[in-house]
Amino acid sequence: MKERSNKYLIVALLFGITFHGSAIFFTIENTYDALIHMFFGNHYANSWFEPWNYSWYTGFTVMGYPPLVHQAIGMLSYIGGLKFGMFTVAIIGIILFVTGSFRYGVLITGNRTVAGYASIVAVISSSFVETLHIFGQLPSIIGVSVLMHAMPEIYLYIKTGKWKYFFTSLSLIAVTVCSHHVTPLFGMVFFISPLIGMVIMDVSREKVNSNKEITFIVFFKSFLSLFKRIVLFCGSAVFLIVFCILPYWINSKANPITQVPIPHGSRDNFLEVTSSGLMFFLIPWGILLFVLPYIFYRYYSKRYIFFGLSITLLTILGTGGTTPIPLKLLGENAFNILTLDRFTLWASIMSLPIFGEFVYRLVEGDLKTALQNKFGTVYHRILGGLFAGCFLLFAIFTITLGYFRPLQPAKINFLPIVNFLNQDQHDQWRFLPLGFGDQMAFLSTQTKAMTVDGNYHSARRLPELTTRAVERLENSKFRGVEGIGSLQQFLTVPEKYNLKYVFSNDKFYDPILYFCGWHRLTQLENGIMVWEKLNVQPLSKILPKEDVSIALKLMWGIIPLLTVLIAFILNIQMIWLQALKIKVLEKPAFLNHGVVYTGFKSWMIKLLHIWTGFMLIIFGIGIYFIYIKNAKQISPENVVKSYYDALDFKFYEKAHSFVVPDKDYPLAQFMLEISVSDGILNSYGKLDAIETTIKHKTKKKASIIAKTKWITPLEIIEKTYTHEVEKIKGKWYIVPEKKDTDLPPDEFITTNINSYYKQGRRKISTQQTYHEDILRQPDLEITKANLIYFDKKYIIIGEVQNIDNVPADVVLKATLYDENDKTLATHNAKYVIKHKLMPKETTSFKVNFEDIAWLKPDDVKPTNFNPDEFTDKYFENKPVTFDIQSAGNVAISDLYTSVALADLVISDKELKGTLFNYGIQEVTVPEVLISYYNAKKELIYVDHKFIKEGVRIQRKQYFKYSFLDLSNLKSLKYSTENCFVNGISNEAIARDVIGKRKINEEEEQLQKVNGKGFNYIKIELNNYIGNPK
Amino acid sequence: MIKRRLHIIILLSITMVLLSVTLLDEKSTTKNTFTCLTTQEIFIAGKPIVLEFKGALENKPQLFIIHSYGRTVLNGVLKKDVIQFNLPKNYYNKTGLVSWFLLENKEEKTKGNFQIIPNDETKTNLESYLGPPSTLVGDGHFTMFVTIPTDNFDNPKLPNTEVAIKHQFLNTITTDNEKTKDFIAWKNIYAPTKSGIILISASCNEAITKEFDAVIYPSIATDFTITYKRNHEFADGNQITEIATSILKDKFGNTVSDGTMVTFIIKNKENALLKTFGTTIEGVATGQILHPEKENSYTVKAYVYGISKSNSIQINYKPINPSIAYSFSKDNRTITVGPIKSFMNQIVPDGIKVSLNIYLKDKLIETITENSSRGKAIFYLSPEFYKEKKYSFEIETLGKTIKITEKNVSNK
Repeated sequence: MKERSNKYLIVALLFGITFHGSAIFFTIENTYDALIHMFFGNHYANSWFEPWNYSWYTGFTVMGYPPLVHQAIGMLSYIGGLKFGMFTVAIIGIILFVTGSFRYGVLITGNRTVAGYASIVAVISSSFVETLHIFGQLPSIIGVSVLMHAMPEIYLYIKTGKWKYFFTSLSLIAVTVCSHHVTPLFGMVFFISPLIGMVIMDVSREKVNSNKEITFIVFFKSFLSLFKRIVLFCGSAVFLIVFCILPYWINSKANPITQVPIPHGSRDNFLEVTSSGLMFFLIPWGILLFVLPYIFYRYYSKRYIFFGLSITLLTILGTGGTTPIPLKLLGENAFNILTLDRFTLWASIMSLPIFGEFVYRLVEGDLKTALQNKFGTVYHRILGGLFAGCFLLFAIFTITLGYFRPLQPAKINFLPIVNFLNQDQHDQWRFLPLGFGDQMAFLSTQTKAMTVDGNYHSARRLPELTTRAVERLENSKFRGVEGIGSLQQFLTVPEKYNLKYVFSNDKFYDPILYFCGWHRLTQLENGIMVWEKLNVQPLSKILPKEDVSIALKLMWGIIPLLTVLIAFILNIQMIWLQALKIKVLEKPAFLNHGVVYTGFKSWMIKLLHIWTGFMLIIFGIGIYFIYIKNAKQISPENVVKSYYDALDFKFYEKAHSFVVPDKDYPLAQFMLEISVSDGILNSYGKLDAIETTIKHKTKKKASIIAKTKWITPLEIIEKTYTHEVEKIKGKWYIVPEKKDTDLPPDEFITTNINSYYKQGRRKISTQQTYHEDILRQPDLEITKANLIYFDKKYIIIGEVQNIDNVPADVVLKATLYDENDKTLATHNAKYVIKHKLMPKETTSFKVNFEDIAWLKPDDVKPTNFNPDEFTDKYFENKPVTFDIQSAGNVAISDLYTSVALADLVISDKELKGTLFNYGIQEVTVPEVLISYYNAKKELIYVDHKFIKEGVRIQRKQYFKYSFLDLSNLKSLKYSTENCFVNGISNEAIARDVIGKRKINEEEEQLQKVNGKGFNYIKIELNNYIGNPK
Repeated sequence: MIKRRLHIIILLSITMVLLSVTLLDEKSTTKNTFTCLTTQEIFIAGKPIVLEFKGALENKPQLFIIHSYGRTVLNGVLKKDVIQFNLPKNYYNKTGLVSWFLLENKEEKTKGNFQIIPNDETKTNLESYLGPPSTLVGDGHFTMFVTIPTDNFDNPKLPNTEVAIKHQFLNTITTDNEKTKDFIAWKNIYAPTKSGIILISASCNEAITKEFDAVIYPSIATDFTITYKRNHEFADGNQITEIATSILKDKFGNTVSDGTMVTFIIKNKENALLKTFGTTIEGVATGQILHPEKENSYTVKAYVYGISKSNSIQINYKPINPSIAYSFSKDNRTITVGPIKSFMNQIVPDGIKVSLNIYLKDKLIETITENSSRGKAIFYLSPEFYKEKKYSFEIETLGKTIKITEKNVSNK
C-alpha cells in the first residue's frame, strides 16, 4: 500500500515554523545564551581555523565548546550577517526538533498518527519553548533533535543489522556530538541504552507469542544474539564522541576548568527559591505534570521498561537541590558544573511520544470513548477544551515571560559605543561593560576592542576571575561580596589589564568607579556613561596566546561541517523518499510493535482525576502562600517590608500608598522628600535583607523595628529603623517620619569656580605622538611615607601634594621589598586617597596589599557581604622597605572642594562633625579621610569613612567617627627616600618647585587628640558628586 | 607541516649545491689586482654615485658596502674592461661614511671609503623640539629648544650650520644665532620672572619653524592676609561668613595660578580645628563657614599647605540670647519648646538644633535632638522608654540652657 503523507506532521511543521519562526525575532536576542553563540559564530566567521580569541578574558580558546552550531552561524553570516545566521540556525533547529520528535514518536509508539500528535504537542511543549525562547540554547536543541533523528536508525541497525543503518545512525550521532557535547554523553545513558533495551525486548517479543512470555532467559538470549551489534554500535559511537571533537577533549585536559562553581538556579532547592522552581521545574514540565501518572504507567510497561527507568532518573536529577539525591548521584564535582535543568528538558522530551499518545487517545481514541461513556460528551468536550487551553496558556506564558519580567536590561543601541571605540584609537585599550546583561556578547561581535570580561565562564583563565563564583564582572552587583570584590580588583589596578574604559549602563557602579580613581568622560547618545582611567598603557601589539597544533586546528575547522555533509548525503535519500512518497518503502521494523488503543483502563481515568485534583490543591496552596507573603498591608510587618520593597525598586507611588493617608501629606510632598534625599544609601543602595520585629503591638497600633541590610558598591550598610504603624479600616499603614526642617541660608547663590578643559590632540590626526600637544605631567610631591604593621597587615601610608599649577589625577603604586630587595607585593591606592587634586592640594593615602582573593582552595570564603574586605597578601619574607611610584596626569573634573568642616566635637574616643556644603553641587557620597599622627607629629595611620547620606547645597550633614586604637601599631620605615614622581626622584622634582617646605606650618594644622597610640589627627574630605551639573 | 617540509627540501638542495661546488676543481686562482678608478672622496647626497674598477673581471667581482643606512652587496655592470657599481638611491641619499670592499669569490681584493655630505642645494628643513612645554618663573627654570636643520633628504646639516633661534616675551623679541654641533642647534630659554607665554621659533636658511609656545607659570605663593565678611555678628547657625584672602602672589609679584588650594583653619573656643577651603581665582581664594549656633570666637588662619600662610584673625559671634518659651502637656509626655525668638524678636529660621536633656535623679539618661520648625520643637517621651517616674529636664538651644525642675511623667 502506498503510504500517505502524515498531515499531522505537516500541520506541526507549518505551525511550528510560523509560531516559533516569528516569535524568535522578538525573544531570542533577550535570551541568556543566544548572543553568546552568535559571538562564537562571529569568531568563526572571522578566523575559521584559529581557535584563539582575544576579545574576552585576556584571550581564550573557542575549543571549549563544540563548534558546529557556531560554525553554521558563521557560515550563514557570509550571506546575510550574523543575526541572519543565528535566526536561520534557530529555524533549522525548530524544523529538526519537530521532525525529530515525529520520528522518535513513530519509533516509540509504532503508530504514525500518534507520532503526528506527538509532533504537534512538541511544537508547543513548554520545555521546548523555554529552551528556545528564554534560554536560547541553540546547540542543545539541535543536539537533542538530531539525537531523536538518530534513534530510529539505531533501532533499525541493532534490530536488522543492516550496514546502511549503521552508517546513517553513526553519521547522525557525529552531528549531535559536534553540536553539543553533553547531549550525546548523557544521551548514550538516558536515550540510547533504554532504546537498546527496547530493541532486545522487541526481538524477544518476536520469539514468543505474547508479552507475558518474555522471561529473563528469553531476554538474555536475545541480548546475546544482538550483542555484537550493540558492542559495535556503542564502541563506534564512543569513538565518534571522542574523535569528532578531539580538540575539545584535549583542551579540557590541558586547561581543566578551574572555575569555582557559579551558582545556578537549577541547583537550588525549588521549594525555597520559588523562582528557580518556576524556571527549572514548573515551566519545563508544564502541562505534562498533570499526566505524569499516565506517562510513568506507559513507560513502565514491559516494552518500555528501560525508558521508564531512564525517565525516572531524569526526573529525579531534574529536581536539583530540592532533594539530596542528584548531588549524591552526580557527585559534588559534576553537580556543580552541570546545569540540572537539562535533565528535566530531556525527561519532558522523552515524554513527548507518550504525551502524544495520550492526546491522541483523548481526541479520537479510546479515552474519548471511555470518557464519553462514563461522563457524557459535554464533559469530554469541556475537559478537552480546558486541557488544550491550559496547554496553550502554558506555552504563551512561557514565551512572554521575558516580556513581563525582563530577564535582560533594555536593548542597548551599540552604535555609539562602537563608534566611540573606533574613534581616536580607543580600541587600543581594553574596555569593561557594566550593567549590559548578556548583550555584552553582541557588543563584542561589533568591535575589535577587547574586554577583560566575557560571557563564557568555563573559558576563563585569569585567577582573579576563576576563583570567584561570578558569572560576569558586568553584573557583579548581583553576586555580592565576590562580585564587587572581583570588580574592585580590576578597577584598582587597571593598568595590569590595560583597562582604560568602562561603559556603565548602571548608576550603581558610579561610586566605586569614582573612589577607585576613575572619572566620567562623556555620556553617549544611548545614555551609556563612559568612564576613563588615566595613566594606563595601551595594549601591546603582540598579545600572548596558547597555540595548538595545526592538526587540531584543521580537525576543529573541518570535521563538524563534514559530519553534516556526510549525514546529509547518507540520509537525504531516505528523507527524500519518505517525504515525497515516490517509492513504496519497506516498513520499518518498529512499526510492528505498536499497541492497539482499545479500552482505556478505567482505573487510569480515576487515577488521573485524583492526580489532577492533587496537583490543583498543591497549586492552590502554593498560590495562597505566595499571596500571604506578598499581601501588602495584611500585618504590621508586611506593610513595613512592602514599604522598603517599594522604595528599593523606586515605586514611590506604591510606597506612598503604604503611608497613613493624610491630605496634608500628598504624593507630591512624599516625592519631594524622596527626591531631596541623596546619598550612598538612597541612590546606590540595594536592599539585600530586611528583618522585622514587633517592638510592641496593640490592636490598632504597632511599633516595628526594621533591621535592613543594604548592598552598596562601596560597603555593606546595616541600618535599623523604627516605624510606627497604624491600622485603619483593616489595613496597616506606616506613620511618616519627620523630615529634616533645616533651611539653607540663601535663596539664590552666586559663585565663581575654576573650571578646566583639555584639548587633547589639537591637530586632527591619528598620529600617536604629536609631542607639542601632549601636556606635561603635573609634578607631585610625596611629602610623607611610612611602612607600618598594624592589625597583622603591612600597609603603606603617606601624604601626597600636587605641587604643580594645574589640577592633577594621582595614580599611586606602592611596592614592598624584603631585605634582599626582592619584590614582595605591589598594589595601588584604592579608596583611601583623593585621586583628583587641585594645585597645591594635599591628600593622605593608604595602600593595602591585596591578594587575589581566596586563591587557595582551603581559604574560607566569607559568607556575608563586605565589599570593603579583601584578602591580604601573604608574605614569605618580612617586608623591610618599599618604594612608591606616583604619576600625575592633568585632570579636569571631579575637583569639588566646597565642603567645609563646620563643627567638630572631639573626645578621646570619637569625633562628631558637621559638614556644610557651601558650593553649588550636591555631594552624593562624602568620604572623610582621617590621618593619625604620633607625638612627634609623624603620620602613622590613615583611615576612611563613607558618610551614608549626601550633603545638599547650603545644608549640613552630621557624622560620627570612632577613633581606632593604634597602641599596637608599629611604624617600620618613615621615609620618602624611595619615592618617585612621574619616574623622577621625588626630592629632585619637589625641591625645584618648593625650595623648603614649611613643616611647622603644616604641623599647626593638626588637631590634638588624647587617643590610644596617637596624639594628633587631620581630617580631609573627598566629595563624590553623583550628578554633576 | 607542509611548509616545514618544503623548507627542509630547499635547505637540503642548497647544501647539496654548496657541497658540489666544493667538490669542483679549484679554478685558476691567479692573483688578480683591481684598481679603483673613482678618486672622488666626498660626494653630495642625492647625486648618483658610481664606483669604477679595473682589473681581471671574468669572475664578476662584487662590491660590499657599509653605510649608516645599512650593508649590502652590489653587482657590477661590465663596460669593456671597467666594472661599474651604482649605489642604490636610498644609499646615496643618506649622508655618512661609506666603506667599500671589492670581493672576488668572497675574497676581499681591495677596499676604501668615501663620504657623503648633506646637499646644501636642496631645500633646508628644520626639525624642532621644545620641552618642557611649561615651567615656573625665574630661579633658573628653563625650557630647551632643540633644532635639527636638515637637507631635503633628511640628512642633518654639517656642523656649525647657523640656526637663528628667536623668542618673544611681552615686548621683547630676542634672536640668538646658534651653530649646530652633533647635528643639533639648541638653546635653553630661561624663564623670566613674570608669568606668561613665551613664543619660540627658529630659522635656518629659508627654512622656518612653526610657532612654539612655552607656558611660564607663576611660582609658589608667599605669605598673605585674610579678611572676612558677614551679614551680622550673631551666632544664629543660619548665616554664612565669607573669609577671603588677599591676592596670593609669588616672590616675583606674579598672581599665583588659578585653582591654588587654600585651607582656612578655624580654631574655635573649644580648641577644635574647623576647616573650610577655597581655590584661588585671580589670586583670591574664598572660603565660607556657617555661623555657629551659640556664642563662639573663631581664630582663623589660612595656609597653602607647606608653602605659605596668612595672618591670624579673630571672628567673634555674639549670643542671640533667644527668648525660649516651652510648655508641657497634661501627662508631661509632650514637651513643646517654642516659639524660640531671635535677636530682633523674630521667630528663628527652621532647622535650629534644639536638645532636650532628660535626667532621672540628676543623672543624664538621654539627649533628644529635634530641629525647629516654625520656631518650635516638639519632644515626645514614649511610654515604652520613659516609665511613670519623675524626670527633670534641660532645654538647650542657640547657646542658651533652660533648666526645668522635676516633673511627674504619667501615662494619663
